[in-house]
Formats: sequence, structure tokens, C-alpha cells
Amino acid sequence: MAAESPTSERKVVVHLRATGDAPILKQAKFKIAGSDKFLKVIEFLRRQLHRDTLFVYVNSAFSPSPDELVIDLYNNFGFDGKLVVNYACSMAWG
Amino acid sequence: MGSSCKEEGYLSLENMFHIDRNEECLIVDSFSEREETDDVATLVHSTSNETHIYDFHIVYSFSYKVPVLYFHGYQSDGQPLSMDEIENDLPPSSSKILRESKWTYMTLGEHPYVRRPWYTLHPCATSDWMKLLLGGTSMKDLDISSYLLSWLSVVGQAIGLRIPLELQQRSVKHPSASCFIINN
Repeated sequence: MAAESPTSERKVVVHLRATGDAPILKQAKFKIAGSDKFLKVIEFLRRQLHRDTLFVYVNSAFSPSPDELVIDLYNNFGFDGKLVVNYACSMAWG
Repeated sequence: MGSSCKEEGYLSLENMFHIDRNEECLIVDSFSEREETDDVATLVHSTSNETHIYDFHIVYSFSYKVPVLYFHGYQSDGQPLSMDEIENDLPPSSSKILRESKWTYMTLGEHPYVRRPWYTLHPCATSDWMKLLLGGTSMKDLDISSYLLSWLSVVGQAIGLRIPLELQQRSVKHPSASCFIINN
């Protein structure tokens, strides 16, 4: 079996950060394969918080598309060896 | 966005082509536990071989004090697209966002400059989620293209427009995103 390339095997440390009135997760740090899509992070958050509508964004002031690869996000916006992902839940209208 | 505007106008991105390929989609539903039979397959025919054309405008709302997206789609013969047809063109993740999110939803509104009903993403939650996105950054320190890139990262997901990651790199302060055309 051919060896996999280092990039596809690489795990990224993701740190989930609650903002607004979102509940804080007991387990807020985890590792995910760089080749996974950001969608996996979003779905993980949805399951942990039992909520479907979440606002998810990174510190560089944008909300990544679910199709982005985690490794691309880490390479561009990670620092200190991790990718910080912020999440918020409800928001008052008006 | 709170600075005084000397000129009124809007940003536009026009003539975006969406090509609907005439292909058969095989949908296999093998994950449902409630189905009596496994491997239920549905064959879906895409009957049209149409090119749909979209125009996108970013208009500043003086009442909500945020940018608002206006867009419309039409067939190559000029026939406007209905909301259902537009939703069909959207990638599944965007349809889901429009249907389920309380941050953005699609309605018809009168375009303040074109003066005709265009589809729009309602701006009532924009100020709230922009505050989250921008964190502690004060409006004074933000140039318009940075603000719009943040705004577009959310709005783009709702309508199937993807912003390249490289554009979101904001290490340089001056407006390098020259892909916008300002119409007066």
C-alpha cells in the first residue's frame, strides 16, 4: 500500500469558542483531519449543542463556507498551532 | 459604513451565468432506517438545458444602516426566474441556509434604484451578525472592502457565491479587492 501524503494525514487542532450567549462546550478542543471539510466542524457543533441554526466564524472576520478544507483554513488563518472557530446561537431580531 | 456618503450608488456584479446541465441524477437512499426496502433509487431528469443569468447588487440601506443584497435571475430570453427556479439553481447548502437560518432569508423587495421588485436577503439581522464577525473592531478602523468581504462571506453562502480564501486574507489594509464595480 502506497504511503499517504503528509498533507492528507495531517490533523488540525480546532479550538471551539463560544460567543454571545452560546453555551460553552466541556470539550472545546479536538483534532480533525486536514482533508475534512469545514462542514464536519459545523455538524459537530450542531450535535454537541443540539441546535441546527448556528453562526460559525473564524477570528479573521469571516464565516467559512462548509466546503472549505480544514487544512486550508488552518494554513491561512490558524495561529499558535490551532484553528480557533467561534460560534453563536440565538440573536434578538430588530 | 457609518461615514457620510457623498454619492449614492450601489455595487453590482452582473451577468453571472448559471448553466443547468442536462444530466440524470441518481439518488440512492440507503441510509434511512425507516424504509422497508434498502437501496431505494430515484432517477431525476433535468429537462431543461438552460442558461440562467443572474445580476447581484449590493445596496446600502439607510434605514438598517447595513448593505443589502438585491439579485434577480432570468432565462436567456429575458424571462424572469421564479423563486422556485432560483432555489433550484442554488447549491443544497445554500437552500438549507435560506430555509432554516434565522440570520438570512429571501424575500421580494423593491430595488431602490432600479425601482422594480428584485429578490433580496432581508437585512434585519445583518447588524447583529456583523457585530459578531467583526469582534471588537471599531467601524472607524475598518475600510469598506474589509467590511464587505466579511459581509459577503455570510451572504455569499446563502446565495451560492463563494469568496476565495485568499481574498479574506486581510493583512494589508488598503482595498485590494478590486472586483467591485460601483454604479451611480
